Amino acid sequence: MYLLGNVLVVGLVVGGVSPKSAAAQSAGRIEQLSGTTTPEYVVPRTPDGVPDLEGFWTNQTYTPLERPSEVNKAFYTVEEAAEIEEGRFEREVAQTSPGTIPDVHYDFTQFGLDRSQSTFARSLRTSLIVDPPTGRLPPLNTIGLERARKVMEERERIGGRWDAAENNQLDDRCIIMRGAGPPMLNAGYNANYHIVQNADYVMILVEMIHDARIIPLDGRRYPSGRVRHWMGLPRGYWEGDSLVVETANFNGKNPLEGSSDQLRVIERFTRVSDDTILYKFTVADPDTWDRSWTAEMSMKKTIGPLFEHACHEGNYGLYNTLVGARLEDRKADEEDGLQGPEE
Amino acid sequence: MRQKHVAVIARVVVLFCSFLLSMEEVSSQSSSSISAARTPNETPDFNGIWQALGNNYWNVEPHAASPGIVRGLGALGAVPGGLGVVDGGVIPYRSEALVRRNDNFSNRLTRDPAIKCYLPGVPRATYMPFPLQIIQGQSHIMILHEFAGAVRTIYMTDQTEAPASSWMGWSNGRWEGETLVIETTGFNGMTWFDRAGNYHSDQLRVVERLTARSPERLSYEVKIEDPIVFTRPWKMSMPLYRRAESNAELLEFRCVEFVEDLIYGHLRKDQSR
Amino acid sequence: MRDSFWPLVLWFVFFIVSIAVPPALVQMSAHHAFSAEFDITKPVELKGTLVKWEMINPHSWFHVDVEDSVGTVVTWLIEGGSPNELIRLGVTQNSLAIGIQLAVEGYRAKDGTEKAVGRNFVLANGERLFLGGSANRIGDGR
Repeated sequence: MYLLGNVLVVGLVVGGVSPKSAAAQSAGRIEQLSGTTTPEYVVPRTPDGVPDLEGFWTNQTYTPLERPSEVNKAFYTVEEAAEIEEGRFEREVAQTSPGTIPDVHYDFTQFGLDRSQSTFARSLRTSLIVDPPTGRLPPLNTIGLERARKVMEERERIGGRWDAAENNQLDDRCIIMRGAGPPMLNAGYNANYHIVQNADYVMILVEMIHDARIIPLDGRRYPSGRVRHWMGLPRGYWEGDSLVVETANFNGKNPLEGSSDQLRVIERFTRVSDDTILYKFTVADPDTWDRSWTAEMSMKKTIGPLFEHACHEGNYGLYNTLVGARLEDRKADEEDGLQGPEE
Repeated sequence: MRQKHVAVIARVVVLFCSFLLSMEEVSSQSSSSISAARTPNETPDFNGIWQALGNNYWNVEPHAASPGIVRGLGALGAVPGGLGVVDGGVIPYRSEALVRRNDNFSNRLTRDPAIKCYLPGVPRATYMPFPLQIIQGQSHIMILHEFAGAVRTIYMTDQTEAPASSWMGWSNGRWEGETLVIETTGFNGMTWFDRAGNYHSDQLRVVERLTARSPERLSYEVKIEDPIVFTRPWKMSMPLYRRAESNAELLEFRCVEFVEDLIYGHLRKDQSR
Repeated sequence: MRDSFWPLVLWFVFFIVSIAVPPALVQMSAHHAFSAEFDITKPVELKGTLVKWEMINPHSWFHVDVEDSVGTVVTWLIEGGSPNELIRLGVTQNSLAIGIQLAVEGYRAKDGTEKAVGRNFVLANGERLFLGGSANRIGDGR
């Protein structure tokens, strides 16, 4: 596993958080981000003397994790980025057509859940992944491919999605959201975090599903390999003005990109302006990829609260769908019964 | 040489005196508070991992030991006795509410929300047999529970009313000298106080008072108000003990997957699985 | 759901695509879940009185009393979105008065009960719920 270290990472971030008229906004101010803070910015400090990361933040963005297949460069031009953003914006708020599958859903815009109505970070990057230089995940290695194959076999064995609750995705089961991480990737909506810190701990509350990452800063070791978590166990320390968090002891069930229990994540949080934390992370997993990969994104200051996302408690959707599926099974059985067995 | 002896003796005397003083504090009534260590913000420092002892999580009222409701668990599923933590002994239920509480008790195996890994509410979360962690920031105090990863955000500034009701309620806090006072409202009325069916409505208002009695112990007093269920406000109190292990850490108790079969099993297509 | 073939195909495609899917498409899987919970062949148009709004996750629920053709009042449960962003914008459980008239277009639940997903919520004055006129969008100027 290796880090990009102190290589100057140039990320061009288009400033401003207003979601309207992307083209107009893109022509606005552009911040140049480096791997360290810009010389003029004086990061505020907590009474303990470390950089103050407290507050409500969001890493919502239109930038995908991986570079789209038709794109072969690391940065869009300002015009290209504005056009793409405008297109995504329009698609999000476009009304669905009655009688189509996308129409069988509440309208995100009525609940403020579309990206275009949120605070979000804007970037000229074509991908969040900055290494490999392709901007894409490394290919799965032999172990990773074998594990993926076994997962597919298991899926076939357990039957259809509505045959049992546990046949569903982890987020539909309200166990863990796909981007909860670490690394913490932006969910489709409610991509918000609450950071509270003291001398000995930094707590990062991930909105969905009220996951509080409690990061000790005292240099303690990881527990026994028998203690494994969905989100691993984090250990943090300050390196200059950056908070570094190293997470291990994953249980292999974290939904990150088919990872295993050998997953290790190193995250770096650096406050580069009053409204921005640069969030950079390196992911390594020798049982999934033969090399690590690194991505970078901005966390922008947003407003709270992070209202209690009691997902499991309110998960009537999964329950009702299973009830409906069994009803349909019974109806189909009855129809078969009426038609009689094949002679 | 003589100076060294004097220095050593002086140190021993000082240590002995402070030992005597600390003994006096520990053995004195729990109503005497100490001046707790301070955070850099000059407030009492309650940061750390704490846990309640005792059997209040079974039943906050006084009760004798009794058999459990899951026969296969034998003695390990039986209910240990408890002296109770309710001021005055029993909870002052309205007569019709008491009927419902007793009905809850009879049906606790199917009705206790915590069995289904639902968020346990306040104050139940505080005295469940799981640790909790207090993290004091500049504007918020977080109380984080190992059970079901329950989270409480205590707003120390920018205080508002609850925007909507929730399982863990909406908490506003303030310091009164050495005491952290937390007022919580906005409950959804779906949680219990314990495993014995003691319950409340969505009109519940909770006032908690936390005070350090020693560096290793907080006193925890809770005032419960719910005019729909109770004839008057009532109180509970118990100590919270610091988890002193140097490697003490909240672990994941992500219990949703432990209860899926319980909740959704009867909706499985293949009932033989 | 007797035929498990198509769900398997969907699973396979989703698995392969999920390795490199942009965040927006993650919502597509939610669409699939919704079209399994609610019946695309059973669109509904409901008009009634709001009696309760559960601002809960992962999806909120609107309880609406609807009078049928013979005057019987039935309470429909209509599924909406997570309230968390609305709360950040100052919406609370007092923002919608109990007793207001609500018109809902949606699709009925497959479990046969009076449940629906609310595709479009409209107030008595014709404004779309939380959005004001069609030109307005909450979060404007943020």
